[in-house]
Amino acid sequence: MSAGGSDGTADRPADLAADGECPEQAGSSLPAAELPRKRKGDVEERSGTHGQQSVDFQMDDDLSRSEGEDQQVKMKCFREPHRQIEKRRRDKMNTLIDELAAMIPACQPMARKLDKLTVLRKAVQHLKALKVGTGSAFTDTTSKPSILSHDDLKHLLLRAVDGFLLVVSCDRAKILFISESVSKILNLSRLELTGQSLFDFIHPKDINKVKEQLSSSEYPRQCLIDAATGVQVQVDAPARPPLLSTGARRSFFCRLKHSRVVGKQDKHFLPCTSKKKDSSRYCTLHCTGYMRSCPSSQLDSECDGEMESSDLSCLVTVCRLLTPVSHQPPKELTIRPSEFVTRWAIDGKFTFVEQQATTIIGYLPQEVLGTSCYEYFHQDDLLHLADKHRQVLRSKEKIETRCYKFKTKYGSYVSLQSQWFSFTNPWTKEVEFIVSSNQVISGPGHTKDEEAGNSKALQEDTKQIPIIPGLSSGLGTMIYAGSIGTQIANELMDSYRMNSSPSSGACSPFGPAQEKCPVVSPLTSTSASSREEASGSSSQSQCDSRTAAGASSATSESLAAVSRININPIQGETSQLDLDLVPGLSSFSSDEAAMAVIMSLLETDVNMGQSGDFEDLHWPF
Amino acid sequence: MKADKEKRRMISRDAARRRRRVESEVFAELSRLLPLQQSVQDHLDKPSVIRLTLSYIRMHTLLKGITGKKAEASHAVKCEQVMESGEEWRGCDRGRDDEEKKTDDVEASEETNMFLRILEGFLIVLSTEGDMIYLSDNVSKYMGLTQTELMGHNIFEFTHPCDHEEIRNNLRLTAEVWCGAKRDFVMRIKGALTHRGRSSNLKSATWKVLHCQGRAKVCVAPSSVSCLLLTCQPLPLSHTLLSTHTFTSQHSMDMRFTYCDQRITLLLGYSTEELLGRSIYDLCHTLDTNCLTKNHLNLCLKSQSVSGQYRMLVRGGGYVWVESHSAVIPSVRPSKSRPGAHQPLCILCVTYVLSGVEEPSLQLSLDQTVHRYLR
Repeated sequence: MSAGGSDGTADRPADLAADGECPEQAGSSLPAAELPRKRKGDVEERSGTHGQQSVDFQMDDDLSRSEGEDQQVKMKCFREPHRQIEKRRRDKMNTLIDELAAMIPACQPMARKLDKLTVLRKAVQHLKALKVGTGSAFTDTTSKPSILSHDDLKHLLLRAVDGFLLVVSCDRAKILFISESVSKILNLSRLELTGQSLFDFIHPKDINKVKEQLSSSEYPRQCLIDAATGVQVQVDAPARPPLLSTGARRSFFCRLKHSRVVGKQDKHFLPCTSKKKDSSRYCTLHCTGYMRSCPSSQLDSECDGEMESSDLSCLVTVCRLLTPVSHQPPKELTIRPSEFVTRWAIDGKFTFVEQQATTIIGYLPQEVLGTSCYEYFHQDDLLHLADKHRQVLRSKEKIETRCYKFKTKYGSYVSLQSQWFSFTNPWTKEVEFIVSSNQVISGPGHTKDEEAGNSKALQEDTKQIPIIPGLSSGLGTMIYAGSIGTQIANELMDSYRMNSSPSSGACSPFGPAQEKCPVVSPLTSTSASSREEASGSSSQSQCDSRTAAGASSATSESLAAVSRININPIQGETSQLDLDLVPGLSSFSSDEAAMAVIMSLLETDVNMGQSGDFEDLHWPF
Repeated sequence: MKADKEKRRMISRDAARRRRRVESEVFAELSRLLPLQQSVQDHLDKPSVIRLTLSYIRMHTLLKGITGKKAEASHAVKCEQVMESGEEWRGCDRGRDDEEKKTDDVEASEETNMFLRILEGFLIVLSTEGDMIYLSDNVSKYMGLTQTELMGHNIFEFTHPCDHEEIRNNLRLTAEVWCGAKRDFVMRIKGALTHRGRSSNLKSATWKVLHCQGRAKVCVAPSSVSCLLLTCQPLPLSHTLLSTHTFTSQHSMDMRFTYCDQRITLLLGYSTEELLGRSIYDLCHTLDTNCLTKNHLNLCLKSQSVSGQYRMLVRGGGYVWVESHSAVIPSVRPSKSRPGAHQPLCILCVTYVLSGVEEPSLQLSLDQTVHRYLR
């Protein structure tokens, strides 16, 4: 009722019409008769005041928009938001015009802001000029017009994808077609490769794999995964029609030879098993594509005088160089010899030791695996390291130790400094293991006196009871080094238990807290569809304690904290486990994470594979 | 008094109408200059015309940098001068004949079409602000929206809000975090497609997970043209596994094995039973923990992921390089021992083995030691 009137300035009609989206208003010759009596009365009343025109326009708008709804209500509802909508539209248009002006050289040097019409006119001129400049792609009216010429698109693709198109015949892997971009990746020219057998360029160990991919009909079984149930479905050829297209799909990885080029190319490739004598280097490619039958008449049959069957099978793939994801260090840039990485269970027992360790500590990995790290720490450092151990289990950050001594195989000590980081399972939020990145501070060569002194001291000290705060040390209790770790681990387990509460959101809001913990009894049946969880190995002593534990003591920062694992740049990094911020992984509480997964599942289109319909593709050879 | 006002209003209305008409004409002219099909041109609304014009100009500038058509730029300037003097310029002398250019173009067209089809993805050029400057026209196959509907819009309007931060970070050109210009990430985008592949309403759009890979292209002048070139591919779940160098596995949400197919025995030496309940993190090289964690997080947050290359330890010693493609799927059946209380979600992984066994005598982990001695 009260709508209208006040905002009826002379601008109003122009505003509504300015963006051109409203239908042309007929002005005062509005069919006022169409309005319900009540309304008409209002209008006439208001027409005495200013803004009658605007009201007419406004209502007409509303009339044209609302289909039989109560117009009075509509008017009220639309007035405010409508103005907002209009304003937004205008602002957007203005922004676009500004952007346009910024892109057009002719508009650049202007001192004052140009009006809309002028900018548009300049844009027209500019486009005309561009069209002329780029020549045939646009003057050719027969081809379908597109924003980019195909040549341009090709260049863009080349930039975006480190890959090439490859077509090989299935019987002998003859390269029928390979796109130019191969030279960028393998440093071999298109000419060199076309007509050759692909096997000449594949890493010897991958030949069988590729042979397998090429042989289609001979291979009896096609294994598909039914995305709905996750069960493998084995389909015998011929496949049912809906599966036929996915049956033709191929996806595999293989290593192809590339010719040596001095420079940064080498850094990109995965370690290969080529011996030193073999001067070839290989790069790993991901090949995805389809099997197709192509008429042999299109093939270059001059090379072989044999009669080919009328329909030849070939594989059409896109081969893409594997991205050396920046957290994946190429072998050439492994850590320096004075460093090594180990992994321990939360009680300090070694579960993983890198091979470099041997040169530093003298032990082979298998000699230390399963033993507690405390057995190697020097007496004097036990306190400090136990404290750090406790810290790292509770912290999401990297913990740096001071310099400490580590006993080597030969009895001497080497000075190390380490960074420890506890790995928390993103789903369960519990600490699963600790990763330790260790650097040698000074060489393992202590002076003879020191060595002798040290080992002697150790022998004496083991009789003493090191006093470590927080650990139970009753009178007469002999604390063995190894048990320190176990005690600290148990502390953690206790804290998990204490902090667990029904509401603190275990990761599975669908069931009781124990759901996510592994069931202790090992599974005897191994049905394919089984989803039982069996117990872990004995080294995972925390399993038992975890059965009772509910949610971890982690807070909503945990997921964010875990996400602070770096995808790190390689240059200058001594430790591959640098722990800076990963760009962009937002923080979620465990509840939110679970809900996010469910929601995304419900909403996400589970990609059922693409149908390969290539009927209309013209073969480029 | 009233008549005066009427008259003034009528004049202003007429003026407004004239302005609008002129404006519409200019818009129409602009849209006709866009290299689009007539049917598309006629139905563009004004903001879209400007958006597409902007895209066109930006792409042109970008491509000049990429293909180095500097000569062409100066040529264009010349043409512009001619234009302004009012003449028409038909064709231009470029030193190559039209016929040659035409066949080149046709060839390029076939190749790029095929490339995009087989790649099963579309190309997208993103500005540093996230504007989708260009999308290859097959985008309609994946998103249900056409190239012209999307070009010029901002990608944040079409992606899942939880992924925005990650996308924003990827858009940054000179972040220290990045090693070189390469980009590789997973994001969720609106897909207005029905299950049968027909376009549907944006309102009923579902989230589609896309794997985006590409690189950043930094332009010095004008710097506003710097952008990200990416291919976006949906991650297919139904893999055809003909290869013996691949195995599938299922995991609970914390990445512990709940199932593994027998091929793993041939490839890595483990029996399927001994893997049940084991965490994948234990089976892999410590240095790859980051890679696995990122993969796991992607799965938890976005439901699909590609892991990149990492090392899996072989039973008894050594390791192999692998890459896993995984997805979170609803598990259908409740577990038998605990009916009614089931994990509704599990992770399905397809793992490709990339290399042979490296350093087979190397014992790196506790598992390998144990197994060695037990043999």
